[in-house]
Amino acid sequence: MGPGVAWYLAVAGFLFGTGTLGVLLRRNPLIVLLSLEIMLNGANLALIGFARNLRDGSGQIFALAVMAVAASEVVVGLGLVVALNRKRITLDVDRLNTLRG
Amino acid sequence: MVYGAWICLLSPLAAAGLITAGGERMSRRAAGYVATLACFVAFGGALASFIGLLGRDGGQRSVISTAWTWLAAGSYRFGLEVIIDPLSVFMMLVVAGVGGLIVAYSIGYMDGDDEERRYFAYMSLFVFSMLLLVQGGNLLILLAGWGMVGLSSYLLIGFWQERPSAIAAAKKAFVMNAIGDATMALALFLLIKQANSLEFGILGGEYSSTVANLVALGLLGGAVAKSAQIPLHTWLPDAMEGPTPVSALIHAATMVTAGVYLIVRTHAIFEQAPKVADLAAGLGAATLLVAGVIALVQVDIKRVIAYSTMSQIGYMFLGAGLGSYANAMFHLMTHAFFKALLFMAAGIVIHSLAAEQDIRKMGGLRKLMPRTYWAFLIGSLALVGLFPFAGFFSKDAILAAALDHGTYGYILWVAGLAGTFLTGLYTFRLLFVVFWGEPSAFVREHFHALRRDLVGISMASPVAVLTVLTVIGGWIQFTPWWHPVETWLRTVAEPVVSPRAWQEWLSIVLSLLLGLSGIAVAWLMYGARRVAVPRFAFAQRTLEHKFYFDEAYDALFYKPAVQLATLLRRGVEEPLIAESTRDLGDDTRELGGLVARAQTGLLRTYALAIASSVAVLAIVFVAVK
Repeated sequence: MGPGVAWYLAVAGFLFGTGTLGVLLRRNPLIVLLSLEIMLNGANLALIGFARNLRDGSGQIFALAVMAVAASEVVVGLGLVVALNRKRITLDVDRLNTLRG
Repeated sequence: MVYGAWICLLSPLAAAGLITAGGERMSRRAAGYVATLACFVAFGGALASFIGLLGRDGGQRSVISTAWTWLAAGSYRFGLEVIIDPLSVFMMLVVAGVGGLIVAYSIGYMDGDDEERRYFAYMSLFVFSMLLLVQGGNLLILLAGWGMVGLSSYLLIGFWQERPSAIAAAKKAFVMNAIGDATMALALFLLIKQANSLEFGILGGEYSSTVANLVALGLLGGAVAKSAQIPLHTWLPDAMEGPTPVSALIHAATMVTAGVYLIVRTHAIFEQAPKVADLAAGLGAATLLVAGVIALVQVDIKRVIAYSTMSQIGYMFLGAGLGSYANAMFHLMTHAFFKALLFMAAGIVIHSLAAEQDIRKMGGLRKLMPRTYWAFLIGSLALVGLFPFAGFFSKDAILAAALDHGTYGYILWVAGLAGTFLTGLYTFRLLFVVFWGEPSAFVREHFHALRRDLVGISMASPVAVLTVLTVIGGWIQFTPWWHPVETWLRTVAEPVVSPRAWQEWLSIVLSLLLGLSGIAVAWLMYGARRVAVPRFAFAQRTLEHKFYFDEAYDALFYKPAVQLATLLRRGVEEPLIAESTRDLGDDTRELGGLVARAQTGLLRTYALAIASSVAVLAIVFVAVK
């Protein structure tokens, strides 16, 4: 039967935590995007783990949907990063604060 | 007969509609022709009604024709009705006849004005309104006509809309009239409550004296405002801002006579409220004196005639208030003739002197325009009431009626006689100053005679017709010997007073003498200039300020209103309302500033906020579970 659901959750939590730290601590938007993906994958893993545990396909379908959305989001995000780079704007999220109120 | 009345009512309305709809497709001249034609068609309709009534017995001479139910409110139904009876036909003839002559005169007078079409549309509307007023078959239709007359007079007085003074005069006339309309409407409300109807028939019903007094007072208020009697008279002299034919129309054939018509039409209620009727007569007497005195010092040719109108309407009120209805109506008719004549002759003078109205600049016009001089002279003689001109026959009968009314009547009689002297004085002052003497420098420079083309003809012929009417019009009735007007109106308004022969003759002789002496004094001072015009600084000032009526109304109504408004602005608007809205705005802005501080623009702050919020939620979730 393989490892129990707790193991899956542990790995998922670890991935999610790593991603969160990456989003919060890193300044390079490219890395921030990558960390975001890691967070999403952590969530996906949790979904699939539960799906297996409960013998219900819905969790897997959710994971597929999340992947599709994540792919689109990456397209936009990377596009922005490329655009920033082309305009010779420093790739530092702390300096991209034009929307300050 | 019924069709005649409807044609009479509707043809001026049709003309107004046609001219309005025609717009620029219709030439200016054509607009004038349409309006004139409509008025004469109306006169034809009135004649047809008159002949129709003549063919009936006295008791059958009142027909009400209903077109449709005009207004249904609850259990009340008011038809669009016209009444055809001796009184309304009498007024229809005067309004449509004299009105038609005035509109014809306008073709010449207004020639070349930029907006002739608008002018003629308004004139037609005015004649229609007045006809609606006199033909209205119940009090509600009468009130509708009453209001429309106010509206059309407003439009016409302010016709030269680029002049601020004309606009001010129009507004003044409208406001003054609105006061009267309001009191009249209140009287009608009271009547509806008491009698459930506004047919003329209910006026003869039995009412408690309070109700009768209140209704009569309300109606009198309307009459006083429309007829420019004290204390609501101040609009009339200012109304001279309109074109001269408008003044003639307002003063002679229509509008100001409406008050007299109203009193005669609703005489039944006034007879139940004798105090109010006496008040009407008293107001008439006061007005005829005050207006006569003010006219002595006015220097604007049209204003002098305007004050003489007020004074003559005062005589009519005197007659109507005393219950001498037929004489009041008869004076209304003769007055329509000679006052229209005077106004139109004055209009020719103004026209010939490049729109100058100040009599101090005039003089010596007798030699330059002899025919106008004669017309003016005949009009003036009729106004003073000298034999054999129209005013003689009608004015003296009113004075005789005053003699038959006890002590109060004697006071009114003396006032009326004094008014005759004043009339002679101010009328011939005007005549001598304008027409006698040598032509002044201004006249020599600006005079140009009436052209002998359509303009001249259209102005001269109505004056000629009215001159003839002024000479012969009075002969219809000579109260000591024959009185067809009284017989004609008897079925509608039975006179309350019946002066005896000696009273008639005494009034005739005295008023003739006083009128002549007024003329003589005027001749001494202004014609022959043998006697210097006496000057009393105080009197002069008072009269030039028209007894300070305008100033008093200013101080009584206008200034307190302005002060109250200023007070409210300073005490309520500025500290309470303006301040509070300003505070509200400031506070909102401040709050927004506080919130905006959280908006750092730093992505990581947001992420941290989300993460910590989720953490808090998770802890709470676990703890609660």
